Amino acid sequence: MTTPAPIQLRARAEGEAARLPALLARAEQLAGAVLLGDHGRRRAGTGDDFWQYRPAQMGDSRRLIDHRRSAMGDVQFVREREWQIAQSVMLWCDQGASMRFSSDTELPEKGDRARLLSLAVAVLLVRGGERVGLTGTRLPPRRGRQQILRLAEMFSEDAPEDYAPPEHRAMIPHARAVFVSDFLGDIDEVKLALTKAADRGVRGVVLQVLDPAEEAFPFRGRTIFESVGGTLEHETLKANDLRDRYLARLAERKDALRHLCAVTGWQYGQHHTDASAQSALLWLYRALGGGTA
Amino acid sequence: MSVIGGIGWIAPWLLVALAALPILWLILRAIPPAPIRRRFPGVALLLGLADDESVTDRTPWWLLLLRMLAVAAVIVGLAGPVLNPQEAVERGSGPLLVVVDGSWAGAARWGAVRETLEGELALAAADDRTVAVLQLTRPEAPVFLPAQAWPPRLAGLRPDAWQPDADALERAEALMAEAAFGAVLWLSDGLAYPGRDGVLAAAEAQGPVRVIEPSGSAVGLRPATYAEGAIQLQAVRAVPGAPRSVDIVAQGTDPAGNARILARASAEFGAADTVAGTALVLPAELRARVTRFEIAGVQSAGATTLVDDSLRRREVALIAGRADREGLELLAPLHYLSQALAPTADLLEGTLPDILPANPDAIVLADVAQLTDAEQDGLLAWVENGGLLVRFAGPRIAASDIGRGRNDPLLPVQLRAGGRTVGGAMSWGEPKALAPFREGSPFFGLTVPDDVVISAQVMAQPGPDLAAAAIAELSDGTPLVTRSALGQGQVVLFHVTANAEWSTLPLSGLFVEMLERLAVTAAASAPQPGDLEGTTWQAAQVMDGFGALSDAGTMPGVDGTALIAAAPSPDFPPGLYLSGDRALARNVLAAEAELTPATWPARIPVTGLATVPPLPIGGWLLAAALVMLLVDVIATLALSGRLTGPRGAAAMVAVLALSLPMDVRAQTSEPEAITAAAEVVLAHVVTGNREVDEVALAGLTGLSDTLFFRTSVEPAPPVSVDLELDQIAFFPLLYWPITPDQPTPSAEAYAKLNAYLRAGGMIVFDTRDAHIAGFGSASPNGRKLQSLAAPLDIPALEPVPQDHVLTRTFYLLQDFPGRHVSRDVWVEAAPPGAERAEGMPFRNLNDGVTPVVIGGNDWAAAWAVTRGGQPLLPVGRGFGGERQRELAYRFGVNLVMHVLTGNYKSDQVHVPALLDRLGQ
Repeated sequence: MTTPAPIQLRARAEGEAARLPALLARAEQLAGAVLLGDHGRRRAGTGDDFWQYRPAQMGDSRRLIDHRRSAMGDVQFVREREWQIAQSVMLWCDQGASMRFSSDTELPEKGDRARLLSLAVAVLLVRGGERVGLTGTRLPPRRGRQQILRLAEMFSEDAPEDYAPPEHRAMIPHARAVFVSDFLGDIDEVKLALTKAADRGVRGVVLQVLDPAEEAFPFRGRTIFESVGGTLEHETLKANDLRDRYLARLAERKDALRHLCAVTGWQYGQHHTDASAQSALLWLYRALGGGTA
Repeated sequence: MSVIGGIGWIAPWLLVALAALPILWLILRAIPPAPIRRRFPGVALLLGLADDESVTDRTPWWLLLLRMLAVAAVIVGLAGPVLNPQEAVERGSGPLLVVVDGSWAGAARWGAVRETLEGELALAAADDRTVAVLQLTRPEAPVFLPAQAWPPRLAGLRPDAWQPDADALERAEALMAEAAFGAVLWLSDGLAYPGRDGVLAAAEAQGPVRVIEPSGSAVGLRPATYAEGAIQLQAVRAVPGAPRSVDIVAQGTDPAGNARILARASAEFGAADTVAGTALVLPAELRARVTRFEIAGVQSAGATTLVDDSLRRREVALIAGRADREGLELLAPLHYLSQALAPTADLLEGTLPDILPANPDAIVLADVAQLTDAEQDGLLAWVENGGLLVRFAGPRIAASDIGRGRNDPLLPVQLRAGGRTVGGAMSWGEPKALAPFREGSPFFGLTVPDDVVISAQVMAQPGPDLAAAAIAELSDGTPLVTRSALGQGQVVLFHVTANAEWSTLPLSGLFVEMLERLAVTAAASAPQPGDLEGTTWQAAQVMDGFGALSDAGTMPGVDGTALIAAAPSPDFPPGLYLSGDRALARNVLAAEAELTPATWPARIPVTGLATVPPLPIGGWLLAAALVMLLVDVIATLALSGRLTGPRGAAAMVAVLALSLPMDVRAQTSEPEAITAAAEVVLAHVVTGNREVDEVALAGLTGLSDTLFFRTSVEPAPPVSVDLELDQIAFFPLLYWPITPDQPTPSAEAYAKLNAYLRAGGMIVFDTRDAHIAGFGSASPNGRKLQSLAAPLDIPALEPVPQDHVLTRTFYLLQDFPGRHVSRDVWVEAAPPGAERAEGMPFRNLNDGVTPVVIGGNDWAAAWAVTRGGQPLLPVGRGFGGERQRELAYRFGVNLVMHVLTGNYKSDQVHVPALLDRLGQ
């Protein structure tokens, strides 16, 4: 006898929902450590906050004249406000199977850390008044706490592919983007996404999250390596002999990413899951301009 | 069994398999290790990387060697190697008679004797012979049984505490003449004894005799004597040889009655000596407790000597009825007594109240008539507990009226008024002599000298009991010494004086002997047969061959003379004999005993006890092979990389855990305590009311979450604390909701709480009734709080003043609402002299943390959150209510900050002064 579908759905939904506050709370806690400074653009423009009074010039609309100030003298003054404009930031967090890996029970999975960082930076950006969303069409950038909840929900889904390609559709021109992944999949997909973004004037940050075992390759003996999704397989008779060549390839991959970023005007960063999430978040935040784009 | 290279082999042809080892080497070398599957995302980078060599890792040579060794160990182990294989010995044929001396001399190495016998029995069983055992100390008709049937019966074979005597040897010879056997195995104890040659002749008449004799020499201990203020101990050995030192220990009871070693002495045998002496000086108290001496490490009756009265020096208190008259020492009432007792007893002198607490063995009252009531009661109690009271008559007793017409408990008989004088200047008769002692009297057997005459005495009142009480009489039948039992002790009355005024008895040797028989004093020298004439002794404890004492049970009484004269035998086993209050020890060795080694004719083969038994080592080799294979498993895993991955680490831990069975309980039994000590943990006291406890825990959870989000305090989840069971020292803050029906903590719990408060802890008492009652005893919760807090070490309290540090440790607060809004929150009072300095915003208040915060605002209810983080209980209404909840959280944050930072915020008043001093 099977349980009726709605009850199953309800149970699963509650299980999913139970995960959400935990991720959210951890992200909020992480984000709480970063002090938010001023987010104004430090020049006159449209906004809510007072910037300066300047004498009225030719061409200024009469509606702009601030009569309270002007009444104090003979010169007519215009009240300028600080330019405040919300920036759109698009996140792409790798949900692929390769991210569901940790070499030690003590360490978090790569995907777990990637989501945490993405959500924490989203929290920070939303607090700074920016609009945050996902790349692609599923969740366009919006502002407000509600968006954080939606992001958390989206991040809780796993992608079926072994190595998920970066989502590069529906990029908003001149927005900013954050790509978090291990970038161990096809480099061409990354290249395509970054060049396409550069074409649209989108700048951003690439954060490569790696497990310490992927950096150290501490394997010996006859081994069959297989990807987390099980699609790729490689057998070797002497794993320790492969180490140097593997590390060379990894360095090559990193160089390629760094080069790609340099060409397209992006920033490249690395993070290992045995390091503290705090440092990675600070780097991300600084790389995004400390909230002031 | 064949012997190759000094090692015996059970299955030598199995060793041929060793030739197969080189082939195994080649086969093992060719097989590569099995692959391991690993999940690894970096595989995408590995694609296309080919191995340098097409050949896999060869198994390293040392692993191959290990495996070879393991296989070789298995082969050799299965071939059954035996160390020390037994060489062949001529054992004769036909039924085997085992003759065992079975005396105390063999007891010390009885285990080896048994093992040797078992080995011989095994050999006899291999030859299918029948065996009989004949123990010379207690010969019984030999029963020939198959050798296999004997080992279980050997348990009944025990050494005796004596040597075979003539009767036993005669019987043994007769039994051997009747039996038919082909060979004799004689297990000798190594000591010679008369009559051994006859048995040897009887044995040799039927078959060859083989002798097995322990190497080394038997040692014994002569009875301890007391001379020159020390206990003289002498150890003897049969064979002079290398210098040797033996430890002699004095066993006895400590004051609590437990057996223990009281003293140790060491005796040195010189190279040619057979006797080694030593002296042991012990205080009288300790000496009296010694029950036996034994040679340490030698379990044998001969190496044990029991101690009787001869070592005991009794404590005797002498008390005279009148002060000594100067210059008349020979007339002093105690002169002859102290002369008689001094050589063998310790004398106490003093007044009765001083002496009774010392609990002497005997008290002698010489012509003491009147005792105070306290003295009388003390003396009665002492006698009833086993004391011996000896009274002497004299002019005072004759003049007083004690024992006249009524029974005085401290006198054995009633006395008649006055006394009588016989043979004096004013009387007709001659002084009376003593009559011979009657049978049944303790003095029976003592010779009465002619020159003892009695010229005056006090008279006993005639009565039906008088004859039974009298133990010595004059020649005309009047009692001279009477005795009666009182409780466990006894009272003895000499009807004459203790000096020579009334009789010549104190001048004679009989006086000393009489005192000795009364056990007032103990003989200093070993008793002679004549001394014990007419006495009957009952064995109380007897010694077995190993020197262990056991209850004698119901053995017939033996005559004293025979007891002294006879050598130890089944009829007179060594042990402790009692007669009345006197104890006599019969030891295996007499005072001048010598040990003579057994000598055998040259035709008799003599061997020692089996030294090294054959040792099969096949099992050890197989075990070694198993260990090597285990090492091989681990090494193989390590080589194939299975020990380095995450699972490998777990496997390693499992292997280590299996190989090192450590006790990890101490670490896992208190995980909560470890968490509590490592993190900041808030705690509440369990009240027993489930609802209140749940709200309190939920409240602390809410407060912990708030602290986590807003401050640098990141508490671990809160816990509930049972004051009776849990350790509370770890918690910075205890929240204690009050319910009217909660149990009062025990005294231990209060001790814990007071220690907690003194060490800087804080308890937040919450009566939870601020909405219905003010502060005080107006509500049941308030009354309960008063009774709960009464035993606590709480200082004077006051309502939170406006400038209390609690108002500014994190948030600036003036109200402390919880679910209820009341301003009655009490904390430790400020010191009376606290003044606000000029220009300071607040007073310079006390240091430290207030140990208690008392209020009734039900803060936990305001803090309480559900599991999902939502408020559990409503507070107030609308936005006002939410503001109230916020203030409650702020109060909680301030509270925890106050506990953790103390008066840090108070010290801020000094900031201007500090800055000023720094020149800023």
